[in-house]
Amino acid sequence: MSLVLLEKVAKTYRIGDQEIRALDGVDLRIEEGEFLAIIGPSGSGKSTLMHLLGCLDTPSEGRMHLFGQDLTTARSDTLAAVRNREIGFVFQSFNLLPKLDVVRNIELPLLYSGIPAAERRRRAIEVAESVGLGDRLANRPTQLSGGQCQRVAIARALVNRPRIIFGDEPTGNLDSTTGELVLEMFRQLNREGRTVVLVTHDPDVAGIARRVIEIRDGRIKREYFPESAPPSRQP
Amino acid sequence: MNLWITLETGLREILAHKFRSILSMLGIVLGVSSLIATMGLTNGIEHGTRVFMEQIGGLELVSIIQKEVSADRMDFSALSPGRTIRDAEALRVSAPLVGYISPEMGFGAFIAAGPISDRKAILGVWPDHFVVARHDLNVGRFLTQLDVDNATHAMVIGDDIVQKFWPALTPAQVLGRTITINQVPFRVVGVCKRYEREQEKRMQEILKSRNKAQPPKSATLRWDPFRRKNESIIIPLTTLFYEFKSGQLPDDSMASTHIDTLNLRIENLAYYRQALDQIRSTLNGTHRGVDDFDLQTRDEWFERMETSISATRLSGGLIAIISLVVGGIGITNIMLASISERVREIGIRLAVGARGRDIFLQILVESVSVAFIGGLIGIVAGYGLIQLLIVIAPSENIPFMSVESVIISVAFAVLAGIISGIYPALRASKLDPISALRYE
Repeated sequence: MSLVLLEKVAKTYRIGDQEIRALDGVDLRIEEGEFLAIIGPSGSGKSTLMHLLGCLDTPSEGRMHLFGQDLTTARSDTLAAVRNREIGFVFQSFNLLPKLDVVRNIELPLLYSGIPAAERRRRAIEVAESVGLGDRLANRPTQLSGGQCQRVAIARALVNRPRIIFGDEPTGNLDSTTGELVLEMFRQLNREGRTVVLVTHDPDVAGIARRVIEIRDGRIKREYFPESAPPSRQP
Repeated sequence: MNLWITLETGLREILAHKFRSILSMLGIVLGVSSLIATMGLTNGIEHGTRVFMEQIGGLELVSIIQKEVSADRMDFSALSPGRTIRDAEALRVSAPLVGYISPEMGFGAFIAAGPISDRKAILGVWPDHFVVARHDLNVGRFLTQLDVDNATHAMVIGDDIVQKFWPALTPAQVLGRTITINQVPFRVVGVCKRYEREQEKRMQEILKSRNKAQPPKSATLRWDPFRRKNESIIIPLTTLFYEFKSGQLPDDSMASTHIDTLNLRIENLAYYRQALDQIRSTLNGTHRGVDDFDLQTRDEWFERMETSISATRLSGGLIAIISLVVGGIGITNIMLASISERVREIGIRLAVGARGRDIFLQILVESVSVAFIGGLIGIVAGYGLIQLLIVIAPSENIPFMSVESVIISVAFAVLAGIISGIYPALRASKLDPISALRYE
């Protein structure tokens, strides 16, 4: 069974009396352990696709099967539970809570999965050390550099041992050197066997993935495999 | 997410915005403190009233009063001897539910002791009088049945009489001294305690602490419900009759002479109605069926007092509740503002797996914490307010803070917190994670 299975998925929004079709018949299958990039210009529907894959939303049409569960019409509480257990997000703007220190930011997902306090803290520190933040545990995000913030975000995404990690323009707010470091971390995660999905408009970032899906106007325009060089097949 | 973390998160949020939190607490603080203060005031009034009720004999006291015979029964009215000592004796025999029976006779007389003399009211009584009138002895003894049976010249006096006739002596030194009533000598056998209102007691304490002997004039000029009690001059009923009343009427005997007052004390309030029935039927016999007496009870009067106390309580409580409601609206307002400031935070929490109800609980716990802390501050403020009231507006009924008032106030504050938190919490929990995350 695939980790992710989308069948003829469409998502429509209604703004006033205008109907916007952000996704229009997308078929997508992601297997465990894949390193996928979703690329496309802004307004192409790649964010909408990521929201669906990240269980932040449900499709208007089609079928959505994630982690062996049919989530096409799932209720928000079910989606929240799936997000909590199976998914880690890394955002462009880090999305850390400025009032909490590094450990508390990292343990945030564990708060909602009913893990006892000592265990929470132990796991948060463990993950923080694995991303090289062992000496920054008591700092607040405002006292950290952009690269460090993104590492906190990655640690937070990892702390619940999710099956899939999403990076939404994870290098967008970073300079090229730290961006490179962050991308290397994603690569490393994938090498360790995690499924990684990057969403970006930058072909260079997408280039580190093993499979790239290009979205235009709500449809998958093409799919290619950077390691095996140019586009191999049309969807 | 368990409640403890939610609480911790809420308290963190409150601490992070101290000024805003204090502002949102203010309404609750005012509400709770005014609730505490009004409850303190009514507590004081209630306590004062109860003490007063106790002092004047309580609910157990029943007075037999004279009543005009209705015009159509006028012919029979001569059949009744009226209220006499026979009534008291009959009640003692045939109304067992009546615990104490106090027939009284009084007259004004010329009192003298040594160089000092004055006109005073004299009361002739049975020993039961001391129980019925709630007298407390300071020194010596009360009158006994022996005094009444032998018509002795013994006398019990109030504290004011001691101060009037023997200003230099203590009550204990007055025992055994002689005082004359219309030239008839009597010996003081007992002196009653000084009866004081709460206010005077406190005044005395304050004066004592300031080492001043003289009470301020305004206090002495005030109406004092215990003045008459403190001026008591009490002698046996028989002595009063034989020395001062006999020989005035043709048919002249102790038993047939009219008494002025007939007060009864009912032993057990559980049998109040039955006791009244016993009294009525006994007196119907002694009065030969003539309806020339009435039972004056305190229950209606006390009921009126209770009603007015609860009215005070209600109106004070209402004002306090209104300010609590206003305080609650304040919390709602500030919580709503704080939520729109924290949309992004809520979005992040939703993204990492918080459910709608986690967010709901978080906001609700936060508003309840604000209200609860506000309530605690309000209790302190209310206590201060009560102390202030005692100083700036001294009254007979000292307000005080009761445990119930604290519990009720905190309960209302928490209730206000819950009610005012529900709407903001509901709104926060309904946020869509995607738009919340995009929110700038």
